[in-house]
Amino acid sequence: MRIELHDIHKRFGETEVLSGIDLTVESSEVVALVGENGAGKSTLTRVVSGAHQPESGWISIDGERVVLASPQDALALGIQVIYQEFGHNIFPHLTVAENLFTLDAGTEFGRFFVNKVKMARQARKLLDVIGLDIDPHTPVGRLSVAQMQMLEIAKTAGHHMKLLILDEPTAALDEQESERLFEQIEQLRRSGVAIVYISHRLEEVFRLSQRVVVLRNGIVALEAPTASLDKHQVVSAMVGRTIEDFYPKESHGRDEVVLTCRGLSGADFFDVNFDVRAGEVLGIGGVFGCGKGSVLRGLFGAVPTTAGQVTVAGAVYRPSTPDRAIAAGVGYIPPDRQAEGLCLQQSLSDNLSLASLPSLVVGPLVRRSRERRTTNAVIEDLAIRAPSGSAEVGTLSGGNQQKALFGRWVMTNPKVLMMEEPTRGVDVGAKAEIYRIINEQAALGVAIILVSSDLPELVAMSDRLLVMRRGGVVAELTGDDLTEHTLLEHALESAA
Amino acid sequence: MTSIISSLSRELRAVWMLLFVCVILFIATPLFLTGDNLLNVLLAASVTALLAAGQTYVIILAEIDLSVGAILGISSIVTAFTLQDHSLAVGLLAGWSVGAVAGLVNGILVTTLRMPSFIATLAMMSVLSGLTLQFSQGNPVSIRSEAFLNIGQSHLLGVPAPVWIMLVAFLLFGFLLARSRFGRYVYAVGDNADAARLAGIKVHRVKILAFVISGLLSATAGFILAARLGTAQPTAGTGLELAAIAAVIIGGTSLAGGRGALAGTLIGALLLGVIDNGLNLLDVSPFLQGVVKGLVILLAIFLDRNSDRVRALVRLVRPSRGSSSGAPHNPINSLTTTGGNS
Repeated sequence: MRIELHDIHKRFGETEVLSGIDLTVESSEVVALVGENGAGKSTLTRVVSGAHQPESGWISIDGERVVLASPQDALALGIQVIYQEFGHNIFPHLTVAENLFTLDAGTEFGRFFVNKVKMARQARKLLDVIGLDIDPHTPVGRLSVAQMQMLEIAKTAGHHMKLLILDEPTAALDEQESERLFEQIEQLRRSGVAIVYISHRLEEVFRLSQRVVVLRNGIVALEAPTASLDKHQVVSAMVGRTIEDFYPKESHGRDEVVLTCRGLSGADFFDVNFDVRAGEVLGIGGVFGCGKGSVLRGLFGAVPTTAGQVTVAGAVYRPSTPDRAIAAGVGYIPPDRQAEGLCLQQSLSDNLSLASLPSLVVGPLVRRSRERRTTNAVIEDLAIRAPSGSAEVGTLSGGNQQKALFGRWVMTNPKVLMMEEPTRGVDVGAKAEIYRIINEQAALGVAIILVSSDLPELVAMSDRLLVMRRGGVVAELTGDDLTEHTLLEHALESAA
Repeated sequence: MTSIISSLSRELRAVWMLLFVCVILFIATPLFLTGDNLLNVLLAASVTALLAAGQTYVIILAEIDLSVGAILGISSIVTAFTLQDHSLAVGLLAGWSVGAVAGLVNGILVTTLRMPSFIATLAMMSVLSGLTLQFSQGNPVSIRSEAFLNIGQSHLLGVPAPVWIMLVAFLLFGFLLARSRFGRYVYAVGDNADAARLAGIKVHRVKILAFVISGLLSATAGFILAARLGTAQPTAGTGLELAAIAAVIIGGTSLAGGRGALAGTLIGALLLGVIDNGLNLLDVSPFLQGVVKGLVILLAIFLDRNSDRVRALVRLVRPSRGSSSGAPHNPINSLTTTGGNS
């Protein structure tokens, strides 16, 4: 079996995510697919699995052109994907056996009534194959994340399979479980399955794969046999050329320290120490799940913290609830503006003033003329494009929604402004404007903490950068060390 | 100006329906459009309207309060008992306290104790109506206080007092909802509670306060009902919660939360009142009145949920005259940004 992708292009709105990908995967080989966030790995996966349709280019299997109009088409051809967010594919209240044979298209277990005994027996067999020792009658919701992941793999083992794509399969596994997964992958490979293995963990890439393909900005930046490469070459290919002057970075750092954080610990971060000075942009980087976002949420009082001393502008500040954080001059821009940021059905100006209403009232009533004046000023300052302040915020473009969210916090005159993924899902023009807003706030003396998985952005916009791994700060990068390369080396577990 | 109209469009829909029904009744019977009859409609609608006003707050918060009818029952019984040995003020205070406490309990169940409001207030409805029957042993409690009976039976400028109470309550709570900080918080929490919390809003407090308002207005509605009848009936509130919810929804408030206004609720309550009144004037069998009301509610919600289809149908029948300036439906883009990928 040989699956070939020819010149695949895919765009979402303005942004081209895949710009001409050629890729070949053959039976009995593991191809490692690596690249930064946003390089196009997930999109490529979804094109191969039939979930997305490419704008141009085609896919062939054994030289024969195929159309993958839906995930069902891909499944019928033996293409299986295990997504990183596999939680969407499980039915937590059904048993392991029922999850394994959800579709039962061949009515193997009965046409009307389900033969549960037979189903459990079959499930037992599949579980034995991958060495997963659980009762097939267990509801899946009671399994550990690692067990669910293994179950996903058991699911695919039940079908005829030619190509298996694994997206970050070890992200939630411990070492022992990872080991078992690797054995399983090796076994599948030997049985003739073609495997695409997506991972941030370079050690795994070098251990498992025969070939490495590096994606960068929607193109194949490097493709070579694994044996001929070393880790530095792979990291260099991921990072690519140096940052264009797309990032209008200005440095406004002053001497006075605004925020100090000592020994801050919470559910998935521990003993985090740092200071942020007025006008400084402190970046925090690290791979998915390293705890960088939780530190911000902990400081804002949105998730509980278990220990730590924090001061804001010299005064002791105990993170407890968002309203106290706001009163202390701390702002937080969450990563998902639609889920946690904006009230989409409300007007732009209502969204802007939401966090500042306590300063805009007389008695219980909102001072509407003053509110209109201040929100209009913010709309103008931040160049939020909307028909008027009374436009529903959900009808604005993604970039303008994001600017509205910035506007809400700018209006509160914060001392510390923390932001997570400030430019996720916005177009290039809006990105530049958001960087301008960040610069302006820094120039005003606001201490800024920036968390982003967009590495070029993080490196370019930060004055100083903390790297986190598994809940702890592992490095602080400044000056010449402040590069994507060193960040990746510290963030990935390949770092010595 | 257009934005005001488009933001009112949901409530306007109820206005059109109200006018439509009024015109039909005007044609069908000469009895409808008389001053006395219209005042009767307002008087009859006042109880539902007050229940619906509090319910509007709760529904904008994406919750529901099924206990309003039971709160009406218990607070009127408590007030009636209190009035036997105490003054009007004490009696009213007792009824309001019962309503406020019931609302407070509802609010705490829904927020701190994390119960779905549907179940929590359903259970409260059962508890409160049971308590009401226990207090009264199932008997109506008659009220002799002249001052209290005036609440339901006196007139001011020819208009019955309950209608004045209704109007004042709608003005007050409408203003609170539209202009106050608390009102803003109600909309924000109902629209997106997570975002509201991250904007520093004490979400629990807002919800509890809304349930308390609902309880207070239910108690007020209880006063009117008891004062009009001269007795407090232990089962007076039974079934009224559904009429109140119907009035809110007909008035354009979204069950999904974040949208709505008290003006619409008033129109919704009046529409239900006019239909009741019309069916009586037309001598429709009381057994069929429920059927007609149910159909009207279905029609109102159908129009609300299918406004795009209706508009398309209208355009099909009457080809477009220039671009329509109707506000587009929320274009929530299919999420192409897969968070934290790879």
